[in-house]
Amino acid sequence: MSLLKPFSKLPSLNTANILLVESEEQFQQSLADVLVEETAFTVNVRLAKSLPLPKENEESRPRIDLVVFIINLTSELSFQSAEASLKYLDPGYLLGKVCFMVTKARNTSVPTERLDAVRKLAAVLSCPLLFAEDQTPDGVTNARERLLSILKVSAGLVPMATALYLSNLTRCTVPPDIDQPSFD
Amino acid sequence: MDESTKRLVQRLMRRIPSKMLKITLEKWGRLTEKQQREIEAVQSKRALTEHLLSFCEKNELGVKRLTELEMIHIIDNPNQEMWYAFRLSDPEDDARSVDLMQFKEQFKSHIRELVSQVSVKIRKHTDEAVWIRIAWGDTYSCPNHLKPTYVVHNLQTPYVFVTSLTSKKKLMLSQALVLSTRYQSLKDANLSGRKLTAIRDLLMRQYQQVFPTKYPSPLTERNQTVTNPHIEREQAKPAERRLQLACEAFGVGMLPQLQSAVYKLETKLRDHTDRTMREREEPFRCVVKFASTNLLESLKNCASSGIASTPVTPLLSSIPLKGKNYFVITENGPGPSSQMS
Amino acid sequence: MAAKSNLSGSPDADLSSLSDRSLSSRASNRSLRVAEKERRKNDAEDPFVLALKYFSNVEAGTPVHGNDEVEKNLVLVERAAYSKGLSPEAISVMLEFAMSLRMGSGICPRVLKCLIPATVVPQEAVVRAVAWLGVANIPVNTQILFIKWLLTVFDLIDAKDQLRAIYGFIFNFTSEENLCPFICHLLYLLTRKESVRVFRVRKLLELQSKLGRQPFLLNLLSLYKVFCPELVTLSIPSQLKSVFRNHNLPWKSALTVVQRRNSPQVASSLNLFSTSKHKTTSRKRKHHHLGLAMLSSAVNKEPQTETSRQLVPLVQLHSVAQLLENMHRIELPAQMGSLLGSSLGLHYLDCVQDESALLRLNFWLGYTLQEELLFSSDEGSSQSSEESMQFLDKLLSTQHFLQEGFSSSEAFLYKFLSVWDGSVLRPQILGLLSNIPVVPSSQIGQLLFEPLMQLFFTSSLFFKCGLMESLNNMLLKWLTWHSVYALEDDLDISLNSHTSINMTLSGFKDSVMELVDFVGRLASVGLQLEGCHSLLLNFILDFYTTVCDMFLKYGLPLVVVPPPGVFYPALFATDPVSVDRLAFIMHRYKVNLTSAKSQEKLTKQAFRISRQTFKEFNNYAVFMVNCLWNAKLIQPGMSIQLGEELLLKSNVPEYWKSFDLIYHPAFMSYAVDFHQKCWPGRKDMDLDSIKHSKPWNWYLEYLFNQGYDGLKLFIQSNTSRQLTAGDGQGNSLSTE
Repeated sequence: MSLLKPFSKLPSLNTANILLVESEEQFQQSLADVLVEETAFTVNVRLAKSLPLPKENEESRPRIDLVVFIINLTSELSFQSAEASLKYLDPGYLLGKVCFMVTKARNTSVPTERLDAVRKLAAVLSCPLLFAEDQTPDGVTNARERLLSILKVSAGLVPMATALYLSNLTRCTVPPDIDQPSFD
Repeated sequence: MDESTKRLVQRLMRRIPSKMLKITLEKWGRLTEKQQREIEAVQSKRALTEHLLSFCEKNELGVKRLTELEMIHIIDNPNQEMWYAFRLSDPEDDARSVDLMQFKEQFKSHIRELVSQVSVKIRKHTDEAVWIRIAWGDTYSCPNHLKPTYVVHNLQTPYVFVTSLTSKKKLMLSQALVLSTRYQSLKDANLSGRKLTAIRDLLMRQYQQVFPTKYPSPLTERNQTVTNPHIEREQAKPAERRLQLACEAFGVGMLPQLQSAVYKLETKLRDHTDRTMREREEPFRCVVKFASTNLLESLKNCASSGIASTPVTPLLSSIPLKGKNYFVITENGPGPSSQMS
Repeated sequence: MAAKSNLSGSPDADLSSLSDRSLSSRASNRSLRVAEKERRKNDAEDPFVLALKYFSNVEAGTPVHGNDEVEKNLVLVERAAYSKGLSPEAISVMLEFAMSLRMGSGICPRVLKCLIPATVVPQEAVVRAVAWLGVANIPVNTQILFIKWLLTVFDLIDAKDQLRAIYGFIFNFTSEENLCPFICHLLYLLTRKESVRVFRVRKLLELQSKLGRQPFLLNLLSLYKVFCPELVTLSIPSQLKSVFRNHNLPWKSALTVVQRRNSPQVASSLNLFSTSKHKTTSRKRKHHHLGLAMLSSAVNKEPQTETSRQLVPLVQLHSVAQLLENMHRIELPAQMGSLLGSSLGLHYLDCVQDESALLRLNFWLGYTLQEELLFSSDEGSSQSSEESMQFLDKLLSTQHFLQEGFSSSEAFLYKFLSVWDGSVLRPQILGLLSNIPVVPSSQIGQLLFEPLMQLFFTSSLFFKCGLMESLNNMLLKWLTWHSVYALEDDLDISLNSHTSINMTLSGFKDSVMELVDFVGRLASVGLQLEGCHSLLLNFILDFYTTVCDMFLKYGLPLVVVPPPGVFYPALFATDPVSVDRLAFIMHRYKVNLTSAKSQEKLTKQAFRISRQTFKEFNNYAVFMVNCLWNAKLIQPGMSIQLGEELLLKSNVPEYWKSFDLIYHPAFMSYAVDFHQKCWPGRKDMDLDSIKHSKPWNWYLEYLFNQGYDGLKLFIQSNTSRQLTAGDGQGNSLSTE
C-alpha cells in the first residue's frame, strides 16, 4: 500500500499542486481546465480516478498541496470510491490539505442519508465540504475560485496563514438537523 | 374503391410523416405531375388523405399499387419496426448459386402452396437485399394488408430479418424460405432491435472492430488530444487499458444501435449463508434486461469508465461476439462457467 | 364587432350589465368569446370533436379489448392533450367518461393521465367526478390517481364554491385509509372558517389516534386551529416537519409543455396583473391570479353562493379606499402566491392580523421554494434559473414591502445555505439572508454561522464583501425591529408582528452580540487572508459604523468594540479613506460610551457597559492618538507590545514616527503636497518641519479640507488642538 505523503517532496517556487480525485472523471476535467488558467502562480493539476496513485509516476509527481475528493451525490458509487480512496492518504494530509467537493446536491434524486453520510465523513476528518454546481459555467468558475483560495493557503502562498489554520475555520461539523429548528 | 383500400390509404398516410411524403410519392411515380403538385400544396394530413383517396380512385390505383407505396416507405425507413434476426443453416450444394429470379419464383410458389390466401411482393433494393412483403390471409379471409410481414434477406448470406410474425406464420415462412434458398433449416438468431441496419451490421460484422494486441495500438494516438502541460492524468495508463479492452469487446466508432439485451437466468443460487435458497431443487429463475438507446455504446462506456470491470465479462461481450441479445443461462453441471445458449 | 365598439368607446348594451367589471376583463371576455367562435367553426369537421362525441355517447358496457374505435379515439384525445391541452368541455366529457366506468375501470387511469387542461377545469365536472367517487366501484389506485390529478389542477379549477359546498361529502373520504393523505391535502386547500366543525375535529383526532401523528392530519388540524383555536386544543408543533408532498408527477411535464406553449395567448387573453413568473406554477398562478370572480364570469358562471355571503374577492378591488371599505369581507384568492404580485393584497396582508392568510401564504411559499428552487438543479437550464431569480426578486420586494420575512423563506434559506455553492442566485440569497428575523442565540451558530463561515473563508473577495454587506443589513434590520417593537415597560419585544415568538431584551442582546462577534471573527481572519484588501476593509468598516452607534441610534444598551484584527489593519491601512472611517467610528464609540456612562449615572439603571469595553476602547483610542498625533508607536502598558530591539533591527530610521499624520503611508502624499505648497521655493524636502506648531495647524486644516471629517471629529474630541504635536495628550475616557 503506497501512501500519498504531504511532505515527502520539496515545494517549488510560486507553484501549487492540486490533486482531483473523482471516480466518474467528469467534473475534474472541466475543473482542471479552468484551474490552470490562474496566472498569479503556477497551478499543476493531477487527475485521478481513485487512490492509490500508480507507483511509476512517483518520480514525476510534484508535492501535492491539496487533495480534492469530488463526489457526485446522485451516485452511491462515487461516494464509496472516495471513501475507499481515503485509506491511501497519509494522515498528514488531514491537517488541512484535504477537501471534499460535492456536486448535484440539489438534485431531487439525492437521498438525504447520503448527504448526511458525506457530511459525517467530512466532519470526522475535520475537512471542509464544498458544494458545487457543475452544470453551469458560472458554477464551474465559482468552484475554481473556491478551490484556489484553499489551495493558495495550503501551498503556503498566503503569508501568515497555514492549511491547518484555515481548515480549522472551514471544516465541516456534524450535520445539524435543520429540518426542525425547534423555536419553542 | 372499397372500405379496406380506404383503410389502407389512411393507415399509410398516418405512417408516412408529412415532410417525407413528397419524396415517397415521387418514388412511387403513380401520380401525374399535376396531382403531385396538387398534393405538395396541401398542408394538413387530413386533406392529404382526401386527395390521395380521390387520386387513387381516378388513376385506378388498387391495393397492389398501394402496397408498393408502403414498401417504398418501409425500405426507406426500416427503423420503425421491431426486427427479429434468423439464421439459415445447413446449406445444400446449390445454395450458393441461387439467383434473384429463381428465388423470387420459388419463394412465391412455395408460400402460395402453404397458404391459400396470401399476397407476396418482392423487391430488390439497391444494397443487394431482397425485400419481401407478405400479407397473410387464411382459408376463409382475404390477405390482411393492414398487418403485413416484412422479410429482408441478402442472397448468399444465411441471415434473414423479419418483422411481426406469429409462430404459426413463422413456420410457413421458414419452410418457404428454406426451400427457395436451398438451405435445410431456419433458426432463431436471438437478436432483435428497432434498427434493421444495426442488427444486420452486428451479424455481418460490419462495424469497426478492434483486435487484441500486445503492442500499443493506434487507439492511443487517436485519443491523444492536446492537453495543458500543467494537467496530468495519474491513471492514464489503466484508463487506456480499460478503453482498449472495452474497444476489443465492443468495437470502436459508431456501434450498431441495439435497444436491449435480455438474460434469462435459470441457475442455482450460490449463497452459503442462505440455506433455504441453497437447498432448493428448482433453479432460481429470473430475467435481467439491459435497455438503452444505444446499448453497446453504454456497455462500452461502462467498461471504459471502470463502472464495469475489465476485461469485459463474456456475458456482455457475447452480444457483439455472438450477435445475440437474448441469452438463456442455465446450470450446466458443476463448475463455475455457466452455459449460454 | 365587439372589438370595434370597444375601440370607439361608445357604450353598448353589454356595458351596463358589466359595469362592475373592469375594462380589461371585458376586453378579455370578448377576445375569449371571439376565440371560442373561431374554434367552434373549426370543430365541425375535426376528428377530435368526433372522438369526444364518441366518448360522451358510448354505451355502458362496451368492451374495450379488441375495440379499435376506442383505441383510435383515445389516441386522438391523447395526442390533442399532450400537444395543446384539452378544452374545458373536453375535460368534462373525458372525466365523466372515465369516472362513470362506462367501459370498465381498466381504461380509467389512461384517460385520467391525459387530462391536461389547456385553460381551466370546469368545476361542475369535478363535482360530478367526486360524486362518482362515492357511487361507482372504482379501484383504490384509480381513486388516488383521480385525487392526485385534482390536486395538480386545483389551481386551474374555474370556481371553488360548489366544491366547498360538498366539503362534508369530501370529508367523509378521510375514513378510507389509502385515500386519507390526499383527501387531507384537498381539504387543506378547500377549508374555510365555516368548514371547521366540532365533529370534524373529533373525526380527525380519532383518525390520528388510529394512524399516529401523520403530517397530513397535523397539517389539516393546524389549519383548523388557525381558524377556530377554541375547537382544537391539541398542541401542534409550530414548525411542521414537512408540508404536503406534491403528487403532480404524472402530469407535471406535460402540463409544463402545454402551458409553455399556450402561455402567449393566455397572457394576452387574460389580462391579469400578476407579474410574478415562475416555472410550472407561474402559469397556474397566472390563470388564477386573484382571478376567482374574473375567470368565472368569463365562462359565465357567477358563483351565487359567493355573493349571497357578501364576500368580495380581492380582485374586484382596485384602490386602497375600496380595500378599506371591504376589509371585513375579503375573499382571499385561491392561489395565495398571487398575493406576491399584488400591492393591494400586500396591503391587506400587512394590516389584517389574519393568521390564516399568512399561514396559507407561508404554506404555499415553503412548498414552492422547496420544490422549485432547492431542488431545481436537475434541469439546470438558464431559463429556469432566470425564473428562479425573478421569483426570488419578487419575494424580496414583498418582504421589503411588509418589512418582515416569512418563516417558510427562512427555513428554506437555512436549507439552501447548507448546500449552497456560494454563486448560484447569490444576490437573491444574500438578500434573503439580510431579511432574516432575529435568530435566538442558541441556534444562530448552527443555522447561520457554520455554513456562512465555511462559505466566507473558501470564497472569493467579492463574496466576502457581499456577505459583509448582507450581514450589515441584517444587523440594521434587527436593530430597527428592536427600536420599533421594544416595549418600554417590561423590556420585552415582539419580534415579528405575526408570529408569537417573543424575545426578552437580554435574549435579543445575546443574539446581536453573537452576530457582532461572528462578524468580528470573519473580519479579522478575512483581512488577514486577503492581505488587508481595502475593498473588504471598507465593507467591514461599514459594519462597524452600524455597530458603534447601537446605543444612541437604536437605543440598545450594548457597545462592542472591534477586535484588534480589524482595528490595527484599518489604522495602518494605506488608503486615507479607511483611516478616516476608523477615526469616525472611534469618535462615535466615544460619543456612545460617554452618553451611556452619563445615563447610567443619571438613572441608576440595571444595564451597564462592562469595564472591559471601556478599557479596550481606551487602549485603542490612546494607541491611535499616540500613533497619529504623538508619533509614539510603542508605549509601555499598551495592548500590543513589540520588542524595542526588534524594531531597531528593522533599520527603519526613527520608526516611532512611521505612523504619525505626516509619515503614515496613507497621508504621506498629503504631507509632501502640503510641503510643496507651504514652501514652494525649498529644494530639499524636510517633512519634519511640518511638526512645528504653526505649519502643523495649517497641515491639519489642510487635511480636514480634503474631506477627512472623521479624522477631524476624532482629533477634536480626543486631543486639545491648541497644543502642538508632541505634547498633545489623548484624553481617554475613564472607566470610573
